[in-house]
Amino acid sequence: MINRGSQIKSINTSNEIQVENISKKFGETVALNNCSIKIKQGEVHAIVGENGSGKSTLAKILSGVVIPDKGKLSIFGETPRNPMHARKIGVEMIFQEVLVAENLSVVDNIFAGSDGLFFRSRSRNNAKKRSQEMLRHFTGIDINPDTLVKNLSLSVKQWIVISRSLITSPRMLILDESSASLDLDATNRLHSEIRKLRNEGCSILVVTHRIAELIRIADHATILRDGSVVGDLSGNEVTSKNIMQLISSKSNKTEKFRIKKSTTLSNSNKETVLLAENILVSKDSNSFNFKLKAGEIIGVTGLEGQGQANFINTIAGIKPPLSGDIFAGLSNKKNKIKNFSDADKFGVAYVSGDRANEGIFPNLSIFENFSLALYRILFNQFGWIKMKPLKNSFNLEKKNLSIVMGRSSNRITSLSGGNQQKILIGRVLATKPKIIVLNDPSRGVDAGTKRELYSQFKNFVSAGGSIIYLSSEIEEFFDFADRVIVFRAGCPFANITSENISEDVVLTAMFGNLDPSNIANKEN
Amino acid sequence: MNFFSKFNQFYMHNPRLERERHLLVPIVLIIILFTVIIFRAPHLFSSDGIGGAIIVISPLILAALALTPIALVGRGGIDLSVGPLIGFINVSLVAWLVGNGYTSPFLVVSYVLGAGILYQVIVAAIIIYIRVSPIIVTLSGYLVLTGVNLTIMDRPSGFSPEWMYEWGYGAEILSPIFFILSGMIIIWFLFSRTVFYQQILLTGADERMAFASGVNTVAARFGAHIMGGIFAGMAALTYTALISSGDPTQGNTYTLAAITAMILGGTSPAGGIGGGLGSVLGSINMYMISYVLSSFNFGNVSGFVTQASTGVILALSLLINSLMNKKVEKL
Repeated sequence: MINRGSQIKSINTSNEIQVENISKKFGETVALNNCSIKIKQGEVHAIVGENGSGKSTLAKILSGVVIPDKGKLSIFGETPRNPMHARKIGVEMIFQEVLVAENLSVVDNIFAGSDGLFFRSRSRNNAKKRSQEMLRHFTGIDINPDTLVKNLSLSVKQWIVISRSLITSPRMLILDESSASLDLDATNRLHSEIRKLRNEGCSILVVTHRIAELIRIADHATILRDGSVVGDLSGNEVTSKNIMQLISSKSNKTEKFRIKKSTTLSNSNKETVLLAENILVSKDSNSFNFKLKAGEIIGVTGLEGQGQANFINTIAGIKPPLSGDIFAGLSNKKNKIKNFSDADKFGVAYVSGDRANEGIFPNLSIFENFSLALYRILFNQFGWIKMKPLKNSFNLEKKNLSIVMGRSSNRITSLSGGNQQKILIGRVLATKPKIIVLNDPSRGVDAGTKRELYSQFKNFVSAGGSIIYLSSEIEEFFDFADRVIVFRAGCPFANITSENISEDVVLTAMFGNLDPSNIANKEN
Repeated sequence: MNFFSKFNQFYMHNPRLERERHLLVPIVLIIILFTVIIFRAPHLFSSDGIGGAIIVISPLILAALALTPIALVGRGGIDLSVGPLIGFINVSLVAWLVGNGYTSPFLVVSYVLGAGILYQVIVAAIIIYIRVSPIIVTLSGYLVLTGVNLTIMDRPSGFSPEWMYEWGYGAEILSPIFFILSGMIIIWFLFSRTVFYQQILLTGADERMAFASGVNTVAARFGAHIMGGIFAGMAALTYTALISSGDPTQGNTYTLAAITAMILGGTSPAGGIGGGLGSVLGSINMYMISYVLSSFNFGNVSGFVTQASTGVILALSLLINSLMNKKVEKL
């Protein structure tokens, strides 16, 4: 640790960012392998690739958080030694996670790291004024700069993190999946901010899974696979087709095996597995009914904070409805779901997309993370764990979900985000649930993994299971959901059947309009 | 009820005061104890009552303040070794310096500060570079120093420097100890207004975030420990004045007392929450609890009663704090 960076030599050049033959290993895992990239001044450069392709590592190397094992790195002629040094050079990074200190105030969070050890970069009052201005500009809300961050919503926290990186007028800005917790409208505001910075001569590196978003803003795209650069696109070549082709060698293979589910399958004669009567999930809204049938996949979406997350939590039994009842199974109304353990008992399983906070146990191994929820119910014999069947079950799910891992006794944090998510989903599948409730399961998961997960889900559904899942990305519903419920103002606004699902239809519904032609006019 | 709603509006919903919410419980407790003492034992508020209280309470307040920056900088940093460190500085001062005739005030003060800082720098270096959790490092420190203290002095003996003899009488309020204590509290106050203190808070509140956004977390952690060392050194000085001699074992009792005082004052060992004022109030509360209880006649068991009551009050105050936070989050 003390000799960090001793092997990296800096190359003296102008306004460019040069990455030459950078390699980085984490234990046995090769994150980056001889990776070379050149980023010009005043361009938006996107880095795309599957999970575990090394994108985040590259971003972290550029911002000084991670020090490479080998290779040359030059940012405006210097090599960052640590984040402090990187900020001095003019490199700002917005991380994938929303890095805020919950117990400190807004102003402390925004100005974290911009003061010296003993001297302020600007007066306290000035800093407060600036914080308030920036947040007003980004969110449209007046937020007292003394407010503790824990009292604010996730999207405001994300803007705090973004503001932190913009107060110093960076020469290079790195965004690592930074729009993950922003809604569509906020993402657009972020994009206009990115364009503004680019026009001022800032180099911008965008690491993202959202290809649709990337195409809109990137001048240049580098595609990574397994830690190496496999493609470089610029200008008009940056299209979703080109990117998808380069992104995953597996994609064509998976495509062949894809289970074509007949979307016209009539669910009307199937039995109801979940029934919600007059439930109210958001204050000051309307109550509604909801039915989930066996073999059905229902997508749930909406603009940020329109009640769809409350609905998912309510169905999963995490949060009771404000009024109304939820029943599992047939309509005899015996099996009322009042809380999480009821939900569990009646075969309703829940997987969160927020792995770090609601999913994994970072200090435990891959195997332990898989088996934690299973010991008690499935592999328990007089209080002893039945190890052999448990291992078999683990190996089965590992194979089914094609989880790439080293030894199963390695810590779960040694896996990439997508593989962590697969472990969590494997854990749920192993409990043989009837209904799986998913909260944004593809957050931070790449396209290839996503497809593998979806084909697993389709297997699950064709075996009689049902799925209800929330996603903020509309493309997630294509060829998968039987119908999509769009939430608006705390209750369902539109119910879109599979043959009608398209970006236009869902978007217009999200914005509170049922006629697609209207929204198209507005955009022009 | 009107008063409460006004209070609620002012205190619980004022963003500027929200960071100070941990002070509410110690302040309420101090008012209650104050009232009880007025009726039960008004002697405390006489000149020599206060004077004596200051002498007794100073080492505790300074020890609690020594723990505070180390707790604020996070990683569950509770310095278990603060008691034996006070004991070590006390016995080494009495045996090595005074025993050999070195008693100049300048030398003595330099020695106590130097020893405190040196010890804390070593502890910080182990925590930072060897990446051992603070509680394990300071537990080792506790054991090592306890042993070292007994090799320096196997039983209470020796004398404090001559010019310190009268400090421990506590017959008047404005004693030298009073000025040392006030001076150190002022130093804390100034320290807490610095940018450096801000860096300690940021590091403690979320170390990953602080590191990633360019805070010098290593310097912050060293700095917190150095501040801890300074306060531990001054705690040892006032402790030496209190007992006017060297004692290899009594110092150890300050570890648990100071931790209790700090937590009672609302500072969380998880980092980022709390502050020095809380630790001062917590220490005063601890003293007053034992003072109130000593006014009742529990006979032989009075010491146990004091400990048990302090424990119950600590648990209750933590409970109230967490209920209070929950209530506010709901609103």
